[in-house]
Amino acid sequence: MIRFEAVTKSYKGTVVALREASAEIQRGEFVFLVGPSGSGKSTFIRLINREEVPDAGKILVAGKDISSLSSWKVPYLRRQIGYVFQDYKLLPKKTVIENVAFALEVIGRPRPIIKRQVPAILELVGLSKKADRLPEELSGGEQQRVSIARAFVNRPLILLADEPTGNLDPATSVGIMRLLDRINRSGTTVVMATHDRGIVDSMRRRVIELDRGILVRDESRGVYE
Amino acid sequence: MIFRFWYFIRETFVSLWRNLSLTLAAILTVAISLALVGSSLLIREGADQATAQFQEGVEFIVFMNADALENQNEAIRKVLDTSPAIKEYVYVDKFAAYEEFRELFVDKPELVESVTPEIMPPSYRIVPSDPDADNVTELARQFSEQPGVKEVATATEAIRQIEDFSTRVSQALLVAAIVLVAVSAVLILNTVFTAISGRKTEIEVMKLVGATNWFIRIPFMLEGTIHGLMGAGLAVPALFVVDSKVLAYFQESEAVPLFRGFAVPDGFVWSTSIWILVIGAAIGMIGSAFAVTRYLDV
Ligand SMILES: Nc1ncnc2c1ncn2[C@@H]1O[C@H](COP(=O)(O)OP(=O)(O)OP(=O)(O)O)[C@@H](O)[C@H]1O
Ligand SMILES: [Mg+2]
Repeated sequence: MIRFEAVTKSYKGTVVALREASAEIQRGEFVFLVGPSGSGKSTFIRLINREEVPDAGKILVAGKDISSLSSWKVPYLRRQIGYVFQDYKLLPKKTVIENVAFALEVIGRPRPIIKRQVPAILELVGLSKKADRLPEELSGGEQQRVSIARAFVNRPLILLADEPTGNLDPATSVGIMRLLDRINRSGTTVVMATHDRGIVDSMRRRVIELDRGILVRDESRGVYE
Repeated sequence: MIFRFWYFIRETFVSLWRNLSLTLAAILTVAISLALVGSSLLIREGADQATAQFQEGVEFIVFMNADALENQNEAIRKVLDTSPAIKEYVYVDKFAAYEEFRELFVDKPELVESVTPEIMPPSYRIVPSDPDADNVTELARQFSEQPGVKEVATATEAIRQIEDFSTRVSQALLVAAIVLVAVSAVLILNTVFTAISGRKTEIEVMKLVGATNWFIRIPFMLEGTIHGLMGAGLAVPALFVVDSKVLAYFQESEAVPLFRGFAVPDGFVWSTSIWILVIGAAIGMIGSAFAVTRYLDV
């Protein structure tokens, strides 16, 4: 599903954020990216959906080499990839249901499909009752659920999550992880960057560790350290 | 597709409303600049119409009194036929003059109704052998002293007057208009830029969920285009005011006889209006295209 072949990425010529990283992630896997701050986790994630372009090496997503993808095709790549942020990035003036529908509207999905898929996904994340609330009227955990619903509503092949529990307390984080686990079990490949030792240790999924841009560990059923 | 249409319309108007003061400034500037562009075109056209009688070498026109006697005409014709200084001439009788008048003012029936062939001055349109200005002036002076002659309009004098006037005015207007068009394009760019910066998160989310560049750009470009069109829409009535007040003022002026021909057909005002709308939309599109390519890149 995702393959990195000796991928190197540096910013502004000086900082090497990722150095010759190689990894292969299969369809349906759940992968944690761990490592200290600045080790290149976010860079790894942003390379997958072409927010960044590698300086050297090759990245394949769903069998396609995306390092040489022409820029007009990038939106179509991204329609297959859901993205969850640490800070949710919800639109403050739109309600929960509108925030989720927005993701389908802007890729031109027909209204009947939107009408069918959005309530279904809100049901999945357990927010049907709060569909008409504004983000500011929700707790952090609920906001993150909305953001996950928005990322998953188009049934992407891959879900990227950059520290999705970074702003949440442990109990709420567990709920979010259950949700991501469920999404993963439905066949979606999940790649999640995290600093949360407890989560990594309890889920025992594949762990890729980065250190100053170098891939230092890759274990299936790994732990945080 | 219908759904997308409404999406674009909704997004566009929400954004217009959010930046109301900037939007108004942009629209008014477009309106003023396009009103100037249009006036400049109208004045040019008026000048062309007014000087249309002087064509194919006609250097001066002898206007007879409407009630000139036949023997007075005879005398003029005799000079014209025999003088070596005259190459050729055309006699325009009062009926022909009336016809021309009717054609010129075809959109102003009240004006046409106010005249009859009887009061139209017949005229001789004269091509001299030597079109040199001094020579023409001298000939004109000689003819103006003949009995029955109302006035003599010379091309060199009259055309120069009118063309000087219209060139000066229309060029001044055009320069001002070009500056203002540039200013309005920049203002639209600025409004669109403000609209873009007010929607950073929205744009970021759109990009990440896979909206195409054009899908993201269209509402902003539509917004700029609508500013341009609204400005042009305000400029159009201004053109009709210029036509009915300013040009009409020249037509009534006695100072320069040829100004009486200073009219533009209504059709011209309409076609100019359409141009103005097209230019307005283009200004808006160009201004907003700049904004989106500069500030909206992936
Ligand atoms: N847009 C950027 N421009 C310049 N340098 C950047 C940029 N993004 C990241 N970097 C640098 O690249 C390196 C890797 O950053 P990255 O964000 O991938 O780390 P991270 O592992 O996600 O860190 P954190 O755990 O703090 O989120 C860091 O040194 C960072 O300063
Ligand atoms: Mg990071």
